[in-house]
This record gives sequence, C-alpha cells and structure tokens, in this order.
Amino acid sequence: MVRLLAVGLLTVGLLAASGCSLLDDDDNSDRITVFVASSLTDVIGDLATEWESVGGSGLVDVVGGSNHLAAQLRDGAPADVFITADAALLDLLAPDRTPIAVLDRFAGNHLVVAVPIDNPAGIRGPADLQRTDTILVACVTGVPCGDASFERYGDLPINSYEPSVRAVVARLALGEADLGIVYATDVAAEPRIIAAWEEPPACPCVSYAAAALTDRGLEFLDFLETNPARDVLATHGFAREVAPPGSP
Amino acid sequence: MSRTPTRAPRSVLVVAVLGIAFLALPVVGLLQRAPWSSLDDLLGRRSVLDALRVSLTVSAMAAAIVVVLGTPLAWMLARVDIPLRRLVRALVVLPMVLPPVVGGTALLFALGRRGLVGQWLDRWFDITLPFTMAGAVVAATFVALPFYVMTVEGALRTMGDDLEQMAGTLGAPPLTVLRRITLPRLLPAMGAGLALAWARALGEFGATITFAGNLPGSTRTLPLATFQALESDPEAALALSLVLLAVSLVVLLPTRDRWLPTR
Repeated sequence: MVRLLAVGLLTVGLLAASGCSLLDDDDNSDRITVFVASSLTDVIGDLATEWESVGGSGLVDVVGGSNHLAAQLRDGAPADVFITADAALLDLLAPDRTPIAVLDRFAGNHLVVAVPIDNPAGIRGPADLQRTDTILVACVTGVPCGDASFERYGDLPINSYEPSVRAVVARLALGEADLGIVYATDVAAEPRIIAAWEEPPACPCVSYAAAALTDRGLEFLDFLETNPARDVLATHGFAREVAPPGSP
Repeated sequence: MSRTPTRAPRSVLVVAVLGIAFLALPVVGLLQRAPWSSLDDLLGRRSVLDALRVSLTVSAMAAAIVVVLGTPLAWMLARVDIPLRRLVRALVVLPMVLPPVVGGTALLFALGRRGLVGQWLDRWFDITLPFTMAGAVVAATFVALPFYVMTVEGALRTMGDDLEQMAGTLGAPPLTVLRRITLPRLLPAMGAGLALAWARALGEFGATITFAGNLPGSTRTLPLATFQALESDPEAALALSLVLLAVSLVVLLPTRDRWLPTR
C-alpha cells in the first residue's frame, strides 16, 4: 500500500513538473495578443494578415463582447491591445490596466434591423419591431450593441438578450429568430441575413477605440492608422469617418 | 455488529485533506468577498428574485422529468440484456462529458425551429422550444439526466436481483416485483440521483444560453444572471452566486451517505 502510494505521489509529482513546462504559454511570446469586440470578428483576421505582411509579429485574437473582455482584462487577462466598441469601458481597466495610449474613434458602425434571408415572419418596417408574434433577439444591455439598441429603439418585446452581437447574428443565420438588431457590418458579412428594410444610417452610432496595454501594443495602434489597415476596415463596411460625440 | 474503524495511513489523510482544501478554497474565496452588508438590498432586487424563481421552476421540472425518464432507463441498462449496451450507455453518459455549449447547439439543431424534429413541432403543433421556459427545461434535463441514470443503475447492479428472482419463482408478476421489491429498495439511490441531477440542473449554463436564450423571468436562470452581472455589477454577481450556492447545498446536503442501498 505504502509503495503504491509512493508510486502514485511520484507520478503526480512528475506530471506536475512536466505539466508546468507544458502549461507555460511562452509560445505566444513573439506574438501580440489583441482582445477584440465581437463585431470585429470578421475583420480581425484580415487585419492580422495585413499586419503580418507589413512585418508585424504574429497576432492572437480573443473575440468577445466588449464588456466581457473588459472584465477579463480587469481581472488580469494578458493582452497587448484592447479594441472596444465602447470607449467608456477603458475607464473600467484602471488602476491596474490603465492603457498606455488610446486610439479613439478609428472606425464606426451603426445598427440595423436584420432578418433571415427568407424573412419567415414577413418583416416590412419599423412597426414590426413591436409585434409580439415574432421572435426578436438583441444584445443584452451592458454590451455596446445592447446599449445602442435600447437608446435607438427603446423598449421592445425582446425574446432573448444575447451576450454579444455575433450571438444575435447566429440566431438569425440559423433561422431561430425572426428579426434581430445587429450592426450594418454584420449584414454585409453574413450571407444568410439581410437588412429588414432600407434606411439611411442613423445614430446612436458605435465607434471603436483601440487601447495599447503594453509597449508592443503601441505598434499595433500605429498600424491601425495606416492606409492598408483603414482599407481593410472600409472593405468590411466600417465607417472611416466617425461623427464626433453628441452630433445627430 | 460492531466493527473497528478503518485505520487510516497518515499519508493518505494528508492527500485527502489537500483534496478538500482544493475544493473548499474557491467557496471560501466567494464567501470572504461576499457583500454581506448590502446583501439584503441585493437579494431583494427584482432581477435576483426573477432569476431565483426561474431557476427553481426550471430545475424542479427538469428533476421531475429526469425521474420519469431516468428510472426505466436505468432499470433497462442494469437488468435487461439489450443489444449494443455499451453504446447505449456511452450515449446516456455523453451529456456529462460534452461541453454544455455543444449540447445546447446540438439541441438547437434537433429541436430548434429549423431543427430535425423542431421544424415539425413548429409546423404541426405550433410548439417552439427555443426562447421559452420549456426550452430551458429541455436544456437542463439533457445535462442532468445522466447523473440520475448513472446513480440508479449503479445501485441496481450493487443490489443484485436475487430477491426479484425469488419473487418471480413464487409467482409474482414482473410489474408487482418492480413495484413491491425493486422500487422500495431503490428509493435511497433514487433520492441521491435526484439530488445530483437537480443540483446539476440548477447550475446549468451553457446549454441554456445556447438553446433557450436569455430572457428575464422566462429563461434567465441564476447562472445566466450571474454571468451577466459579473460584467456590469460584480457585487450583484457575488450575491447571486451565494444564492446559487445556498440552493445547491440545500439540495445536496440531505443525501449524506445514502448513496447506494444497503444490502
């Protein structure tokens, strides 16, 4: 029995020792880690390619609701850059993770009401947002797209508050929801959903801010201001010119 | 019959205590950060009460379905010589090891509005499970059922079927044997399995948010509310966690040693 135990403890010890080296995440040491708002899911891959083609190091992206990412960063998650759809979230990072530099309003986006491509509920206009016989999904308040949805459309008979805009997109793409409030860029990126009706872009608009949390993050911020990066964003439908706060 | 208690080697005890510490530490961490002074105010909030009500309703309904579906299933796995038993058992245990988010996605593809079976439910009966409390019950049942089946099946095997055989030879019909002999002896194990399954249903998060969505008063359970509060209102998240902890303990504590039936 004692021998068995000794063998057991030895095994655990060995595993722990080898585990320590296995668990070292030094693999990412030559790459930068970028925490990205989930509405930038489709664009971050192209930005990474562009970044590497201009000589940047590899890029690891962590995609999620801006709030969720901010909470993770506050709790010490390792990141070099944080790209958020709500600049106010950057204040939450203090005092431990106060950004070294912030590139505010480098791209913009606006909300649209989207439906699955076959529009199963026959959604036609804004009045349909109030229908109760349909399944309407939107972002939960607290994440930027949820706050913007509430500010723009007020109280709606929402069937599910999703944790990120991509979750709303997925509901629509799978046909589980009849209509949902997403970003203009999501409609451009996801072939299975379309805008429910035509309307000129309207605010409240969302603007993105990028914060450098480490010195290496600064390089990426500089890159975001270059023409190739701005072209990538424009290709995905993000607005280059962002209206200053307070304008209609 | 009195027995001398097992003499425990000290080294084993040391490791066992380490194990306890590892499991208890997070609970202690939660308790020492809990906002005790504002707890009253936090727990009285509509959002907390809503989540508590949804959680209790959903988990209780899931637990009831688990017993109804799980008891015959456990009995069949333990007593009937079915073909491909290993495969069937693996299938039953699958939700235990599957990431709940995957389970929720799978449920969506099966029972969602465009799902394999869900499209017919929607078309013929006008039943849509996602985004309803029924959907949350389905998600909770899916993840909780294996815990009950495993416990009850294990008990059936340990207990053996000598008494049942005997009653059979004495002329008792199978259903009478089940009702008068098997089930009464199985009750403690059913209780233990129920407690486990109930507790698992209470803690369910991934499959619920994926399959049933997140709506206050209907599908937003305590874990969903906690997840959400964590980002905006950490104090409320801690209060919610305490509620969840308390409810889970209430469900789990009565089981004590009644894990397997005594022979």
